[in-house]
Amino acid sequence: MLESEGGGTAEDVVEMRTVVDLTRCQGYAQCVFLAPEVFELHGEEGLLYATAVPDDQAERVRQAAAACPVQAILLGEEVSSGAR
Amino acid sequence: MDSATLLARITDYASRPNPYPLYAELREAGPVVQQADGSYLIGTYHEIAALLHDPRMSADPRTRGEVAHKPPFLRLDDPEHHRLRTLAMRPFGPPHSPRRVDSMRGEIDRITRELLQSFEAGRQIDIVDDFAYPLPVTVICRLLGVPREDEPLFRAWSDALVAAADVRPEDDSAEEDKAGDQARMEMGGYLVNLAEQRRGDPGDDMLSAFVNEPDPALRLTQEELAETAVLLLIAGHETTVNLITNGSLTLLRHPEQLDRLRREPELLPRAVEELLRYEPPVHMRGRVPHADIDVAGTEIPQHASVILALASGNRDPMRFDEPDRFDPARPDNQHLGFGSGIHLCYGGPLARIEAQAALGALLPHLGGASLVEDPPPYRQNAMLRGPRHLPIQL
Ligand code: HEM
Ligand code: SF4
Repeated sequence: MLESEGGGTAEDVVEMRTVVDLTRCQGYAQCVFLAPEVFELHGEEGLLYATAVPDDQAERVRQAAAACPVQAILLGEEVSSGAR
Repeated sequence: MDSATLLARITDYASRPNPYPLYAELREAGPVVQQADGSYLIGTYHEIAALLHDPRMSADPRTRGEVAHKPPFLRLDDPEHHRLRTLAMRPFGPPHSPRRVDSMRGEIDRITRELLQSFEAGRQIDIVDDFAYPLPVTVICRLLGVPREDEPLFRAWSDALVAAADVRPEDDSAEEDKAGDQARMEMGGYLVNLAEQRRGDPGDDMLSAFVNEPDPALRLTQEELAETAVLLLIAGHETTVNLITNGSLTLLRHPEQLDRLRREPELLPRAVEELLRYEPPVHMRGRVPHADIDVAGTEIPQHASVILALASGNRDPMRFDEPDRFDPARPDNQHLGFGSGIHLCYGGPLARIEAQAALGALLPHLGGASLVEDPPPYRQNAMLRGPRHLPIQL
């Protein structure tokens, strides 16, 4: 997601970020079913994902993180102020 | 009491409302507890998880010579299992169809809303018949391409098959097995026939995808198609009904957690995981070792019957903090509700979306509701455990 541009807007932008601990990920692909715009299976094994989660996918990513059988998906809600 | 009678006591219908004290007794006596009938019962988390990942453990009833026909992939070992699961996954999930389940969300929400239309304050309703059963049946019919109005037909077959598959002490089930075999043949024939009608004229359903696969290397044989379609239709609804019903029951028994979820609906995905731990729809699964194996110091001989009590592993204090507490925000919740290892539930993502949609939409109605009977009447099945009815006053 893009942060809001230009200085001085009072509103903060909450941006969700994901990190997958690929040493724990066992490729069960539960996350791909639940948030296919964010997680993608590459071939049989490799997992690709977007680190910055678009707003309209945040709920799906929360579901994916809860569903990961090895709890490899870490979520951070980063608050960045509108003026950086 | 005698720990060799635990399986008999767990499967006794009188234990259905609350088997959890027996699971505690099992873990105390364990990890491996031989039963009077010669089988081995295991109820501790770490041993169950290890055996679910152990390639020496077979899920195939032919390993003990129990049946002659080739079972569906739920009960096959790799590499046969892997081949069929991968083929069955092509029209359902990644890598070939990553958006299929996600694309059902709108329809699941619509069916849920329709079912809830008649839920008016003051009425008495049955969560099972009025809500938790019709939702997954409608969804799996839509997905497979089975006419919804045929439900009375396949319900009878499904009942017979689920009864035959239940765990019971060895093994007075000849009658159930015969009825189950008959139902499997009839249901398989019915589903293959539906699929054949779509040959050359495919819809967007999974039966169409199976019969119209252009690559011969990726085609199911007719026998495989029958077994796979029967498995998907049954597994697609017989378990999800229990998750939604157990969820409603658990929330009504924990009003403070119900209130919390109404205030913090973003907790719902984690609450569903906690339900899969705390009141799982599938309580036990059977396996057979290909070779003599040692489990926590106990020798289990080749071809013995091993029963893994998943629901007991979910309550193991060696793995979970305060395991008997229902905590929708529980951290580190690697439950066994969908199994683990190569047979990890194929339909888990769909079941999760259905349960989240169903419970999320039900929450506002549960605020002023109360249980008419507690405990409610349970289904006979010990392996697929859940209420037969759940009457509540809105
Ligand atoms: C809350 C609902 C559900 C629960 C609790 C559940 C539970 C399970 C469990 C515990 C297993 C592992 C069995 C074993 O290791 O022997 C399993 C396997 C399976 N489930 Fe589910 N299930 C659910 C919903 C579904 C749905 C909706 C479908 C189909 C769309 C489905 C299809 C399957 C299949 C095909 C397998 C066999 C997987 C394999 O052998 O590789 N399940 N399920
Ligand atoms: S659900 Fe978890 S284990 Fe599976 S692919 Fe995604 S991150 Fe990896």
